[in-house]
Amino acid sequence: MNYQIDLLLADQPAVLERVLQTTRYRGFRINQLNMQPTASQLKVSMQVYGKQPINILTTQLHKLYDLASLECQAQQNSTLGRRSLAAQTLPKTA
Amino acid sequence: MKGAQATLQYLTAQGIDRVFGYPGGAIMPLYDALLDSPVRHYLCRHEQGAAFAAIGYARSTNQVGVCIATSGPGATNLITSLADAKLDSVPLVVITGQVARAAMGTDAFQEVDVLGLSLSICKHSMQVMSPEDLVPSLQHAFRIASEGRPGPVLVDIPKDILLMEVPEFEPEDQGALTLPQPDEQTIEAANQLLDNSQRPVVYVGGGVGMADAVQELRHFIARNNLPAVCTLKGLGSADTDHPGYLGMLGMHGLAAANLAVQGCDLLIAIGARLDDRVTGKLDEFAPHAKLLHLDIDPAEIHKRRQADVSLLGDLKQILPQLTCPQDKTEWLERMATLKAEKALTYSSHSGDGQIHAPSLLRSLSDLAETDAIVTCDVGQHQMWVAQHMLFSHPTCHLSSGGLGTMGFGLPAAIGAQVANPNKQVVAVCGDGSFMMNVQELGTLRRYQMPVKILILDNQRLGMVKQWQELFHEQRYSETDLSDNPEFSRLAQAFDIEAEQIQSAEQVIPALKRMLSHPGPYLLHVRLDHKDNVWPIVPPNTANHQMWEQPR
Repeated sequence: MNYQIDLLLADQPAVLERVLQTTRYRGFRINQLNMQPTASQLKVSMQVYGKQPINILTTQLHKLYDLASLECQAQQNSTLGRRSLAAQTLPKTA
Repeated sequence: MKGAQATLQYLTAQGIDRVFGYPGGAIMPLYDALLDSPVRHYLCRHEQGAAFAAIGYARSTNQVGVCIATSGPGATNLITSLADAKLDSVPLVVITGQVARAAMGTDAFQEVDVLGLSLSICKHSMQVMSPEDLVPSLQHAFRIASEGRPGPVLVDIPKDILLMEVPEFEPEDQGALTLPQPDEQTIEAANQLLDNSQRPVVYVGGGVGMADAVQELRHFIARNNLPAVCTLKGLGSADTDHPGYLGMLGMHGLAAANLAVQGCDLLIAIGARLDDRVTGKLDEFAPHAKLLHLDIDPAEIHKRRQADVSLLGDLKQILPQLTCPQDKTEWLERMATLKAEKALTYSSHSGDGQIHAPSLLRSLSDLAETDAIVTCDVGQHQMWVAQHMLFSHPTCHLSSGGLGTMGFGLPAAIGAQVANPNKQVVAVCGDGSFMMNVQELGTLRRYQMPVKILILDNQRLGMVKQWQELFHEQRYSETDLSDNPEFSRLAQAFDIEAEQIQSAEQVIPALKRMLSHPGPYLLHVRLDHKDNVWPIVPPNTANHQMWEQPR
């Protein structure tokens, strides 16, 4: 299944590496990646492919301390948004 | 104030008065400032040992452990310990020196990209790139390490920042962390699951101890008459005197524990993550059960198995809200009967005169003080400790669970003894594992800490040998350690009193001598290399199909 993931991140050293490592380690392949710095943040958009449920990845991305927001959509445009666990406004508890 | 002094002043402000580490070039300004600081530094003999000591300190107190190392090899030597702390959720702040900013990125002497190396094995990592960021980074690090699900945080500080003037520390009110709380409906759904179940089993993980929810767990089990099993890290959380306490589950779990879980209709996972060593063949794990999952980490919910109801939040707050009016006494009695049927016996091996580790460890459990802290290395001896010793609290059993790191036991014991100078601390080591951080005997000698070392020596890498025997057609590849050094003489070289035993009748007197000795002590126990750990769940096998004894 393909997913579109849009991230807003604090512009800290190694933040992009964190996203890439997390995505690879949790079993997803990046098909497309776009990164754009703003005044103090990074906007990262990526298309990923993986066989596992996407929340295996999104819940781990949520743990990144530099993450400000995450949106995720399945390729068929069925908005996953921040549904289920990934959807809750969670503190960085893990 | 210079960066080095500000760092130590911040540690002191956090109540950190004991740290572990090893000096070197890039971190020298911090070591210079240590001479004028109230912070006491414990010099270990390898950075891995220093970080394991910090882990032992943290796990035996539920407080943040601190470790310091230099750049380059100092930093890379920390990697295994950081991974260990990450997989076992240990609150750690690790400070590394880095080459001066002007030299960074030039392949300078002892320069390594420790920030990059640490990303996947730390809860968070930071590199301080301006003097203004130094103290705020430390403040951030302590908070991240201890809040929610704990973990290791690395702070990499270039040498020039340690030598520069930095702004005065102004405590920043970061506000208390708001933990998620399950809503009333979800609590009600959980209680409904509990009430509807006929055969519930509580599955206790390491999260209970880390949430300081041991009492809440014990009350929950007692007031609802529930049987309970524990993971390796959960041992000590449940009341071992409760009739439904069934011990450890999983690959080397006790038979009653595994059978209870395989037969239950509701599994209540509390601060546990359904690790593969626990579940065996996942598709056949607790096959008739609904799952009620309690955890602080949303990423653990639904990760290995879909939960029927999940409660995300602080276990200390959630557990008192769970209750089921329906009486479970009959089920509890069935489990107590199963426990009695499958009870371990310690007399059947006594006829051959040889020392059998399970009997010895049960004796140690009986003879040691109730709040004694036992650390382990990794392998057969570690599983025997988990199976045959009883612990009064999870801070009393320090075992490398997730990473399974050989060499953990001795340095972790040193850290635990530093944190608990008046408690009995025993490192139960394997002969293979002991050699992995044997240099820490030097630390014991230096500080004359009364750590007891019990080496269970079967002259093998025993667990690998066991797998070679059982699953690799007895093709023993590189697991023979019969050329081990003479451990008691090795201890004597460090002025540590030592003794060697090899027959069963020597066990009790030797254990008593070890435990009553006022200083450090090494007891070298020779075992039969043919002894294996039972039960065992073979790979890709359901837990109820465990082998309970040699075939």
